[in-house]
Amino acid sequence: MISLRSVTKLYNEGRPNELRALSDVSLEIGRDAVTVFKGPSGSGKTTLLSIVGCMARPTSGRVLVDGRMVSGLPETFLTEERRSTFGFVFQRFNLIRGLTVAENVALPAAPLGPDPRALAARIETRLEALDLADKADTPVEHLSGGEMQRAAIARALINDAPVLIADEPTANLDTDLTHRFLDIVADLRAEGRSVILSSHDPRIWQSDLVDRVVGMADGRLAEVAA
Amino acid sequence: MILQTPILALLLAAALSNAVALWTAWFGLRVLRGWDIASGSRAQLRLERRTGLASTLFGFVMLIQIAALLLFVFNADRMATLFVGAMCAVGTLNVNAYGFPALYLKIAVFFAASLWLILDRVDRQGRDYPLTRLKFSGALLIAPLVLTGAGTELAFFLGLKTDVITSCCSKMFTPANDGIAAEMTGTAPATALWFLGLAGVAVAATGTVSLAAARLQWLFALAGGVFFAAALTAIVSVISLYVYDHPNHHCPFCLLQREYGYVGYALYVPLFAGTALAMGAGLLSLFAGTGSLATVLPGALRRLVWASLICHGLFGAVVLSVIATSRLVLFG
Amino acid sequence: MTPGLRRQRALAEYTLAAMARRRGKNIGLVAVYAAVVFFVASAMLFSAALRREAAIVLSEAPELVVQNLLMGRHELMPGAAVETLAGIRGVAGAQGRLWGYFYDRVNGANYTLMVPFDPALIPPAGAAIFGEAIPRTRDHPWLGAPLFLSRHPGDLVRFNAAGQLTAAQGLVSSDLILIGEADFRAFFGLPPEVYTDIAVTIRNPREIDTIVQKAEALLPDARFVTRDEILRTYQKIFSWREGILVALAGASILAFAIFAAEKASGLSADEAREIGILKAIGWDMRDVIAMKLWEGGLVSVGAFLAGTVAAYLHVFAFGAALFAPVLKGWSVIYPDFPLAPEIDGIEMTALFFLTVLPYLAATLVPIWRIASADPDQVMR
Ligand SMILES: Nc1ncnc2c1ncn2[C@@H]1O[C@H](COP(=O)(O)OP(=O)(O)OP(=O)(O)O)[C@@H](O)[C@H]1O
Ligand SMILES: [Mg+2]
Repeated sequence: MISLRSVTKLYNEGRPNELRALSDVSLEIGRDAVTVFKGPSGSGKTTLLSIVGCMARPTSGRVLVDGRMVSGLPETFLTEERRSTFGFVFQRFNLIRGLTVAENVALPAAPLGPDPRALAARIETRLEALDLADKADTPVEHLSGGEMQRAAIARALINDAPVLIADEPTANLDTDLTHRFLDIVADLRAEGRSVILSSHDPRIWQSDLVDRVVGMADGRLAEVAA
Repeated sequence: MILQTPILALLLAAALSNAVALWTAWFGLRVLRGWDIASGSRAQLRLERRTGLASTLFGFVMLIQIAALLLFVFNADRMATLFVGAMCAVGTLNVNAYGFPALYLKIAVFFAASLWLILDRVDRQGRDYPLTRLKFSGALLIAPLVLTGAGTELAFFLGLKTDVITSCCSKMFTPANDGIAAEMTGTAPATALWFLGLAGVAVAATGTVSLAAARLQWLFALAGGVFFAAALTAIVSVISLYVYDHPNHHCPFCLLQREYGYVGYALYVPLFAGTALAMGAGLLSLFAGTGSLATVLPGALRRLVWASLICHGLFGAVVLSVIATSRLVLFG
Repeated sequence: MTPGLRRQRALAEYTLAAMARRRGKNIGLVAVYAAVVFFVASAMLFSAALRREAAIVLSEAPELVVQNLLMGRHELMPGAAVETLAGIRGVAGAQGRLWGYFYDRVNGANYTLMVPFDPALIPPAGAAIFGEAIPRTRDHPWLGAPLFLSRHPGDLVRFNAAGQLTAAQGLVSSDLILIGEADFRAFFGLPPEVYTDIAVTIRNPREIDTIVQKAEALLPDARFVTRDEILRTYQKIFSWREGILVALAGASILAFAIFAAEKASGLSADEAREIGILKAIGWDMRDVIAMKLWEGGLVSVGAFLAGTVAAYLHVFAFGAALFAPVLKGWSVIYPDFPLAPEIDGIEMTALFFLTVLPYLAATLVPIWRIASADPDQVMR
């Protein structure tokens, strides 16, 4: 369970170009659910996701993860919270070029001091579940768009995060691949994970999979549809 | 001034240390004024990241200082051939009035630095960085120590003149003089060994108690301090005799020479490390009540006490082996 | 392995993979760095070897040499002084030495003629034992050909060859001619009972100072040169030169540090993005710093080893060929024999301080700057 209480986020605080990306957002996101934020460009979806995912700190307001206050934590501990709870899939995937798929997938585990053999086994299982096992040793720049996304998902889940956060996951995908993505989301849900998405893609928020759609406009929550 | 590579290396290390100490002190002032862990503001975040830099830099400098302490003594020992009357490091350090003060300051910096590093390590494990203000107040105190140390060292090197006739260990470590060195030398070997043995028992006992009871580490630190004094006295009064196989050569520096298998390093490194760790445990035990450290501190204290006990054990083993392999018979 | 160690291993592995991808850049960096280390290390190893050589040569010298002075110049020593010196308490022995220089007009060379102390080396009358350079410069037709020396036009003195000194005896022997005392006195026209100087051996080195004081009272005109004094002078000269060289190298170290700082802070957009990604997927500032320190550590240790090994080969296998032209001119004992290789802990520590510290110091702040990037910056 993730709670936001009166969260406000200002960029360039105190400077002439100060910008209010989120104002006074209060929100509860339950576990075992697929939640989608939808809204026009610039409405603050990415900002909200980064605060929900403990990637950024709110300017004011509080963020609680499973009842623990995380918004006041020093960066290091915020990172620890994030590592243990969230996996991220970025809009542009952000795989590291020059490394293979398996090496990319292993990256989030490095700071935790993984046992190399257990990690390799985890990577294999993850890649198999995502149909990427045969690409494990391919450098990521040789992958297709859909494969890159699946590699990014594998990386997001390698530490077994209970919550997957994906920003505009289908922005670069055609209809087939979008359905493929939704299948993966369905699998994740079946595994008992929560998924939080942002999207302005109707194919996403009209899908049956989605438990909750949260509309956004100008840094505020607009309407909340179930 | 004698332009020599080790001296240049030491001066470089001192210059870097000074720069970092000054910056850390200045930054420490800002922390003391602006630190507010509860605030999520950008300024606090920046301050927080900078404390990360300060820790890295300060840790780096403290490692340099520890290495520099060894290099300083090693070099003083090596340079003894350049001075009339010098047989070992003592002669070199006696060439002018700054030699021994420079050494003592370096030792002081070593202990202060070790304590700071221990504090820093634990602080960064507490979710609200509970010791940050204390840590940077400490940095404010260490900075002048580092600067004075560097200044004294520079004065010492600048004042190294090879035409000076210096006095060496045989004049300094003799019971005939006044002062603490003479007191130590004059202590009867049996007394010194008994004292050392008792202090060792005290260290072992307080260590065991603090491990078992998970408190009273300050008592262990106290025992560690007493052991340090006892160990130095014993080295001067009797252990050196065993190393040199000579009933009157009391120098604690000649031990560092190759002729004696560098046994001095085997004695001093565990002794100094063990003492610093014990003092660190004592210091940390003062924060046992701090909320966010409740989960971290017991483990950290246990590790410190263990590490310190191991160092003390190593020291004890080296002492015993020195006595066992010596041809000198002092008792019986 | 504890998780802490496994973490370090994982970070190191990532570093290696990342460095392998930028092989060109990293090899360039290590090469420049290694060149700096090579320069400093060569200077240090070379002077240290000369210092050691001097100490070895001097270890066979007498503790004290006494010379006679006349008008401030070196004069022949009356033989009576030998007895005087030998009579001082603590003196193990005093012996008059006979040695002198001879200018060979045939080939313009300077030889050292000497009467050896070692009875085994004293040749029979009319014969000489000489260093390996002499038959070579004199074009002797066969090994063991007699040596003819001419003191002035029309003069010719013949010495039968009684043996040869080998090159391995090093430093001082190649231009040496050993002859018997009677031949020496006859050759130079010396009266009996005078010596070039007197070598005094002393049992306890701690007593040298007192013995010199007593001897000065007995022989007020003499000059006393102790072995320790010569040794100190050598040590000072070589340390000083090494210091100058290293200080000169300091400029290159500084330049390299600036270069390294530039490199570390002027990250390519690629690298900056990579760090951003790492932070976004859950690496902490400390993880990034640790990873970068691995990189710095690998670079400096690699460069340090490469530079030091190259310098070692340069000095001990190639006779410091690059420095020879500079050092030959102002070296007291420039050796043309191979230097005895030795690595010295304190020198290596100092070298490590001088080359690795500036690099780490120059790169730490840029590394921290990169590591403190906002994790959310790659989200857009
Ligand atoms: N680092 C930043 N500095 C200044 N302004 C920013 C920063 N990041 C975002 N903004 C601004 O905050 C507002 C919200 O941005 P955000 O990226 O959250 O929108 P979004 O809903 O994700 O838009 P899109 O659908 O185009 O991705 C935008 O006006 C953006 O320009
Ligand atoms: Mg966005």
